[in-house]
Amino acid sequence: MEFVNPEGLRLDGRRPMEMRQLRAQIGAVAKADGSAVFEMGNTKVIAAVYGPREVQNRSQQINDQALVRCEYSMANFSTGDRRRKPKGDRRSTEISLVIRQTMEECILTNLMPRSQIDIYVQVLQADGGTRSACINAATLALADAGIPMRDLVTSCSAGFLNSTPLLDLNYVEDSAGGPDVTVGILPKLDKVTLLQMLRNTTSITLLIQPYNVLERFAREYQTAGVSTWLVVHKKGIRAHIQAPTLAWLLLDFQLSSHHLKLVAYTGVATS
Amino acid sequence: MVGLSLGEKHFIQGGIDQNLRSDGRKRDAYRPISIETGVIPQANGSARIRIGATEVIASVKAELGRPNALQPDKGKVAIFVDCSPVAEPMFEGRGGEELSTELSVALQCCLLGGKSGAGAGIDLSSLIVAEGKICWDLYIDGLVISSDGNLLDALGAAIKAALSNTGIPRVQVAAGASGDEQPEVDISDEEFLQFDTSGVPVIVTLTKVGRHYIVDATSEEESQMSSAVSVSISRKGHICGLSKRGSAGLDPSVISDMISVARHISEQLINKLDSEISAAEADEDEM
Repeated sequence: MEFVNPEGLRLDGRRPMEMRQLRAQIGAVAKADGSAVFEMGNTKVIAAVYGPREVQNRSQQINDQALVRCEYSMANFSTGDRRRKPKGDRRSTEISLVIRQTMEECILTNLMPRSQIDIYVQVLQADGGTRSACINAATLALADAGIPMRDLVTSCSAGFLNSTPLLDLNYVEDSAGGPDVTVGILPKLDKVTLLQMLRNTTSITLLIQPYNVLERFAREYQTAGVSTWLVVHKKGIRAHIQAPTLAWLLLDFQLSSHHLKLVAYTGVATS
Repeated sequence: MVGLSLGEKHFIQGGIDQNLRSDGRKRDAYRPISIETGVIPQANGSARIRIGATEVIASVKAELGRPNALQPDKGKVAIFVDCSPVAEPMFEGRGGEELSTELSVALQCCLLGGKSGAGAGIDLSSLIVAEGKICWDLYIDGLVISSDGNLLDALGAAIKAALSNTGIPRVQVAAGASGDEQPEVDISDEEFLQFDTSGVPVIVTLTKVGRHYIVDATSEEESQMSSAVSVSISRKGHICGLSKRGSAGLDPSVISDMISVARHISEQLINKLDSEISAAEADEDEM
């Protein structure tokens, strides 16, 4: 299948390095302490933050920092074909963990000892890039809740199909099976907090070389206090190492009363 | 989860006794209602409704399936409700399941007919494509995004709006298939059939707090309720479903009184919803 036509346009009419349209709104859930709706094209997620508040389960209390919890859930109608998903399946548990770790990194948890912050993310529509959209939405919700943070995490994904790097994959491109990299960065601190490369592995030997390059890449951006999260499994990668360097997405936040205007621009590091 | 002090409880109850509730409403007044349709482009029909701080989304998806052998001339409709933890931390994990099931069952008995499919708000025979062979299965999903009481009325209204937003593709059944064979179908991409939603009832919940009952209770008021009666009423004034929640017993005469009050209120609610739905559809067409 052809993902970029001879004119250089993708299936949805974007250029390979083009993001989908971003829309965001904060204060979407009246009862939450902070909330946001974030849309990337047809992907739409809603995030709500409750806390900092008293720890519900005393045994989980941490005496020198806040407990950050996260739950990711998908609406029944979020995917193209309707299906009822059981709660707490492996995929959503994994994404919950990714979001929790990413957000925990940017929250100044040491300022709120013996308290708990809950982040709930609900996918209303899934059209590729839900992971990134959830992280962006969670950041906005945390900012709306007034929770002290080091920086606002921003996230974006990129893939590699037909030997072309593509920014911000949609569902059709995502299901084509090429490698897919999600990056989360703290733009002001210039640090990588999330780096995830997903795809099936066919051969272990193929894995080693790219892993080394990725690790070097990660170390370059890894500074004290920032954990870089690596998941590498893939198929035929050499060329795909370019992908993470492409996924620099920087979002400029302009908080105006109750609306967030998001200006997105991408800095493409050529490899 | 509402934690109220004794003073707050007295204030809420006292306000209801004097027909002036904490937010300035009378006992029989709804909070402002706003509706947006077509919020889920991937669904056949969808709507979001806000009643005060309560917000729910309903989506309708249609799939081709086989009719039930006992009712070969009727389609199938299923209603599911999901309470998102976004609305309330209590709904985390499996915490929302009990409420979700309660709401799904209440909606099923308010909007769908009996086992035979008779008396349903949705005309099930309009869902049939080829009798005994192919029908539309409607999956109605409700999602609670923000919860501030009165979820059932909000879900009922959202489903009504989503159904009137629903377009079902026209299906051509290839002639020639005979006997037990499953006929081939051609689903149109362009032609959509609209539903007749005039028969879809609205749900009015009357919540009994102290000696009086109120409509459209907030979650603070609901925490003080002794019992609640939900009545679903069609435009013609017919009662389509009835359910009671809460453990306290009710005097039969109070129930019949509640039903007649609910019937009166439903007229205003239907008119309000209809005008909001048509405004939302007009907005959507403009976009």
